[in-house]
Amino acid sequence: MIDSQWIFTLAVLSGAVGMWLLLPRGGRGGWPLGVPLMAIALGLGASQLLRLEGMESPQRWVAEGVFFMLAGVTVVSAVATVTLRNPIYCAIWFGLSLLGTAGLFLFAGAQFLAVATVVVYAGAILVTFLFVLMLAHPRGRAVYDRSSWEALVSAATGVVMIGILSMTVADVLTLHGEQGGALVTAAEAAGPRSDGVLADAHVAHFGAELFGRHLIAVEVAGTLLLVALVGAAVIVAQTKPEQQ
Amino acid sequence: MDTIKILLILIPALPLAATLLTAALGERVLRGRSHWPTVLAIGLSCLASLALVYQVHSGIDQARRETELAETHGEETASVGYEKVYSLWTWAAVEGAYQRPNETAWYDFHVDVTLRADPLTAIMLAMVTFVSLVVAIYSIGYMHDDPGYWRFFSYIPLFVFSMTMLVSVSNFVLLYVFWEAVGLCSYLLIGFWFQKPEAAAAGKKAFLVNRIGDFGFALGLFLLWTNYGTLNFHDVKVVEETVTVAGEEVTQTSVVPESAAVAEDAWVVGQQPGVLGQTILKSQRQLDRGEELAEGAPRYATGALATAICLLLMLGACGKSAQFPLHVWLPDAMEGPTPVSALIHAATMVTAGVYMVTRCLPLFVASEYAPQVVAAIGGFTALLAALIALTQTDLKRILAYSTISQLGYMFLGLGTVTLLSAAGAAAGMFHLFTHAFFKALLFLGAGSVMHAMGGVIDVRRFGGLRRLMPVTHWTFLFGCLALAGIFPFAGFWSKDLILVAVGEQAHQQAFGEQTRLLYSLLYIAGLFTAFLTAFYTFRAYLLTFHGEEQIPPEAGHHAHESPKSMTVPLVILAICSLGVGAFFELTGSFERFLEDAPSVAYLTAGAEEPVVEAAGTETGEHGVSHLGVAILSTVIALSGVALALLLYLGKRQWLQRLTQAMDAAMLYRLSHGKFFFDEIYMVFVVWPLRVIAWLSYLVDRVLIDGLVNLCGILPKWIGAALRPLQNGMLQFYALAMVLGLLVLIGTLLR
Amino acid sequence: MNPEIALLHNYLIVGAVLFGLGAVGFLSRRNMIVMFLCAEMMLQGVSLSLVAFSRFHNDFGGQMLVVFIIAVAACEAAIALALVLMLVRRVGKLDVAVWQSLREDNQPEFEEEKVPEEPSEKPEAWPSLARAGLTAEVSPEKTDYRRKP
Repeated sequence: MIDSQWIFTLAVLSGAVGMWLLLPRGGRGGWPLGVPLMAIALGLGASQLLRLEGMESPQRWVAEGVFFMLAGVTVVSAVATVTLRNPIYCAIWFGLSLLGTAGLFLFAGAQFLAVATVVVYAGAILVTFLFVLMLAHPRGRAVYDRSSWEALVSAATGVVMIGILSMTVADVLTLHGEQGGALVTAAEAAGPRSDGVLADAHVAHFGAELFGRHLIAVEVAGTLLLVALVGAAVIVAQTKPEQQ
Repeated sequence: MDTIKILLILIPALPLAATLLTAALGERVLRGRSHWPTVLAIGLSCLASLALVYQVHSGIDQARRETELAETHGEETASVGYEKVYSLWTWAAVEGAYQRPNETAWYDFHVDVTLRADPLTAIMLAMVTFVSLVVAIYSIGYMHDDPGYWRFFSYIPLFVFSMTMLVSVSNFVLLYVFWEAVGLCSYLLIGFWFQKPEAAAAGKKAFLVNRIGDFGFALGLFLLWTNYGTLNFHDVKVVEETVTVAGEEVTQTSVVPESAAVAEDAWVVGQQPGVLGQTILKSQRQLDRGEELAEGAPRYATGALATAICLLLMLGACGKSAQFPLHVWLPDAMEGPTPVSALIHAATMVTAGVYMVTRCLPLFVASEYAPQVVAAIGGFTALLAALIALTQTDLKRILAYSTISQLGYMFLGLGTVTLLSAAGAAAGMFHLFTHAFFKALLFLGAGSVMHAMGGVIDVRRFGGLRRLMPVTHWTFLFGCLALAGIFPFAGFWSKDLILVAVGEQAHQQAFGEQTRLLYSLLYIAGLFTAFLTAFYTFRAYLLTFHGEEQIPPEAGHHAHESPKSMTVPLVILAICSLGVGAFFELTGSFERFLEDAPSVAYLTAGAEEPVVEAAGTETGEHGVSHLGVAILSTVIALSGVALALLLYLGKRQWLQRLTQAMDAAMLYRLSHGKFFFDEIYMVFVVWPLRVIAWLSYLVDRVLIDGLVNLCGILPKWIGAALRPLQNGMLQFYALAMVLGLLVLIGTLLR
Repeated sequence: MNPEIALLHNYLIVGAVLFGLGAVGFLSRRNMIVMFLCAEMMLQGVSLSLVAFSRFHNDFGGQMLVVFIIAVAACEAAIALALVLMLVRRVGKLDVAVWQSLREDNQPEFEEEKVPEEPSEKPEAWPSLARAGLTAEVSPEKTDYRRKP
């Protein structure tokens, strides 16, 4: 078996070059080479994901399949968000990525968050983005959409960061020696999830926790929202008299 | 308080006060009256010096009576010579400074401000203050309309202070300090008209050449210190006494001169012999008598060390007294005002070297070769300077070379001193004494001529002044006669003594063959130099005062006899140069007085004859007849005068032919060009130093300044390198943050 | 191996990927809105990691934080878009490279690389209606067919 380090390195290299090719670079088409490279990178990365051992067979296949699908949708949408020339398309693909993320939240048992993501994030924030895009976007495709700033350096930096983080996670979490033992202990000591985050009354517990322990934070967040609202209005309103 | 102590303090203190007063008030307040503090102070000092001479003389008599009294009681006396030493205060003190060999105790090193009164000091003080007074009075007239009048009269007492302190102090450290101080005053006064480039250059040259001598002197002092552990002349004792300080009894250790009286309950802890002190003198005499010395008894250094010390000290004396090879500064020093030349470069400062060697005679005698080196240097310089003076055309330069020559005579005399014969010491000092008077007279006369001729001093440009300036003429003639050594003027007696001393050494049986040959050569050189001296002196006199009357146009309305303030000093000095020699020599009082100075007394006390002896009035021991030398030197001097008269009086037709003959033989050019010493020094000393200085300049400008500038430029460069980080692009900043984050993650997580 | 650990492992990697991709987009895209979108994507990656940890430790804390992340993201979006609108009003472009004057003296300006001109789309010829109130001018051929010969 090839060492996971090498696979990660290869994935990083391939991903970096692919990303670079995919990024808008002044009108040149990087799709033919970039897409396969990106696919290779994602594939290599996916191969390093752990299988859910310890679960019984039928449940296991379903769980793994669902997870891979959701993760795949999320990541591919993310790539699309970053690389497409038309910003409206970027926003739409971001929406898809949000949906994938919501699905992942659901898979992890965070039901409220899944819904909140869809409703608030995809439904409100994303729509705001689209509104502003329509307000400000020029006709046709602008130069600044078709070229990027230092594509190579950015791609390399970002993908290397992914590589480092992933390799660290893989190192820590693949049960090497003492660390692994500690992890297992921690996982078991957390207790059965069905009594905690995966309980049937998950949302009720979630609400109790939110408005119980974090009440003040909630109030502050509400105030923050109000202030942001007023602030946004003020900022935009100030420039209006000039216009006239 | 002792009278002597008061006098010793007053003599230098009064001129110092005059300096400060004139410096502070001269420019605004005193102006034309700036000479008063100086003249008053030096006059009082002169009186105090004469009083000091009297006091020392009576002190000697009293000591002699006490000695005779003690001897009749069978007690042995240990003191050699008469000295009274006063320690004013401690200037610097180091505890535990050195150890003596084979001892474990650590001795302290003190530098005290100590003044001493002994015959040598008294003679020097009297001579210095008297000549200074005369010159100061002369300067009133000479410097009359000079804008720096007040400055002149603040430098002169500063010089007198330094010189009087130089001859009064009783340790080598202070001697060196005031050695430098007189050098400083010489620089200030030579370069008095500092706007004139030649004067400034001459001042610099004098100081630098002196510095070379001072360097040798300092090295000699270091050797003295390492060898003797002390730099005092006399002995000191370390006294422990209990005193009451603030109600408590405290034991105090102090260093006092040996002659000081100590309290009843004081405990003399130890004694340190001074370098020339009684303790060493005594043990050296014991050695010479063939006695055994106690273990660890102090004695003079001998052999190579002694020769080294003496030669180094001699180097210092060469610098100060303008002997070969450091004689080059004195002719240039004539750029200064003539009173300065008279005072400093004829009578006083240049004699500091002779004084120092006289003071250190016991050291010189302890070395085998040093006295001969001193004599050789002196004799050679005398001859060299006389040869140069033959062809010079600047009257003051002729006199300057004459001074160098006469100083050579003094060293020649001093160099004949041995344990068996101390005649040379008295001879050298006596010549110093008489030379001060007639050389000062000659210089002041030349100044008078220069003043009348409107600043012209080239003898070819004026002539026949004897009717125009009668007083100057006659006083100058007296001076010339004294310099040439014609009976009965002063120079005759002193030069005679020196020649006798040299002649005696030439026949000294105790010397080896080579030493006797050396002294014989020096004797012949001395005689020849006497001939040359007479010749060039009268050449100068005849060129100036005889022949056709010729007055240069610069004279203007000045061409008349000088005012009283200038002529009266001339007359005084003329009388002195006539009478001083005969008086002191025939009464023998000078030598008798000098013999009681400790440095000289040691030498004569070694002889088997009784202490009181007027050396030199009888025939010498080994057949050199005093009368014979006297007649010989007179004949030689008169022949020199005759030759000068022949060549320079009247039509001067022989002169042309002689000059052409000498020129053909290159001798004239050598002499006129001062044997090209200045040029040689320029090539071998000055140019290399200039090159080194230029290289140092380069190192300083390029390397050091470059480094410093680099320190200044470096932040600029760093800034320029870092500036592109601020290029205003938002995403660049974000990238920088991410890269930093990556580094952080990389190091922390992995 | 405990499935929880594997799940955590996978979620963390996916979160890292999202974060990294967001970083790439933020650094390279010049459209201000798209840059902000990528920033939001970075937040999503972080949220994913938080939820994973919450499940692993059976603690609601991570999910709480995610709630507040969403809230703050909303505020941030509002203000940021308001500011972007203001900036756009000044220069008429959404380009972030326009705003680069806050630099040291003598630093070179960012030069755009030459991008080939896009062929501008011909405005499609949409059919247009005649103005109301006017009779349409129609050529007789077009209306002639109604008459029976």
